[in-house]
Amino acid sequence: MAAANKLEVMVVDDTSVSRMLMTESLQEIGITNLALAKDGAEALTQLKAKPVHLVISDQYMPNLDGLGLLKALRGHGPTAKIGFILVTGSPEKSLVDRGRQIGLNNFIAKPFTTKAIRAAIEAVVGRLT
Amino acid sequence: MTRAAGERRINFVQGEFKVSDDPHVVLTTLLGSCVGACLRDPVAGVGGMNHFLLPGGEVGPSKESERLGVHLMELLLNGLMRQGAQRDRLEAKLFGGARMMSGLSDIGRKNAEFAKRFLAYEGIKIVGGDTGGEHGRRIQFWPVTGRALQSYISKVVDTPPSRVVAPRANAGDVDLF
Repeated sequence: MAAANKLEVMVVDDTSVSRMLMTESLQEIGITNLALAKDGAEALTQLKAKPVHLVISDQYMPNLDGLGLLKALRGHGPTAKIGFILVTGSPEKSLVDRGRQIGLNNFIAKPFTTKAIRAAIEAVVGRLT
Repeated sequence: MTRAAGERRINFVQGEFKVSDDPHVVLTTLLGSCVGACLRDPVAGVGGMNHFLLPGGEVGPSKESERLGVHLMELLLNGLMRQGAQRDRLEAKLFGGARMMSGLSDIGRKNAEFAKRFLAYEGIKIVGGDTGGEHGRRIQFWPVTGRALQSYISKVVDTPPSRVVAPRANAGDVDLF
């Protein structure tokens, strides 16, 4: 079990509206310790300076995409163990398989629901309280 | 309607989007209450268009269907960026959103308002287009040059979406924008 209000989560998405939608869903779940980044490169810089428990990232972004960010995090000691959930509008099996090979913990298909987000997070960190 | 030599017309329907960097391509679609967003990066020479109708009741699209709308706009944005477009250079023309039947809620206007809010929030400038009214429109969009032509037509039946799957219920009460 994990306390939602203790969980530190970073939301990575290049679309402002999508970052806001995800933020609002996470707040509904009770997750309020949130960091935001607009692409993988910005997220990587922030996470190297201050790691979080869980990253929820879009796949298709400029500069560094979701799986690129995952690979970079797994290859850097202090960020290697961060939970990682990929959010994608086209969850092709090959994309998810490629993600699993480099340490992807879970994925969420867009358009997402708050219920789906909660289930995906709980599958990674345990039941939220 | 005359066609230029070598022109390739790509017709598409509700729930779809098309992206091209081919100067010979013309994207065409019929819009009634539906909205079509034409986006283009003039530097990269790539453009694209979508065609959507978010379902909704008296007050307009529900929160769930607005999430679907965000998703459909993102698919177009991602398609453009995969072909070299940069988000900060994009410009938009919006069409459609007509009130096709009097007496019912003006879902066309609500859809156009949704698209305008999305573009404003993403910082994408609207440089043209035409929304509202009571007539359907045939839209032709040249994705490389950004040229767009509309012709009013009297009757358009909004076709059902081809591949759009509505989000499941229980999406929570989220306020957009």
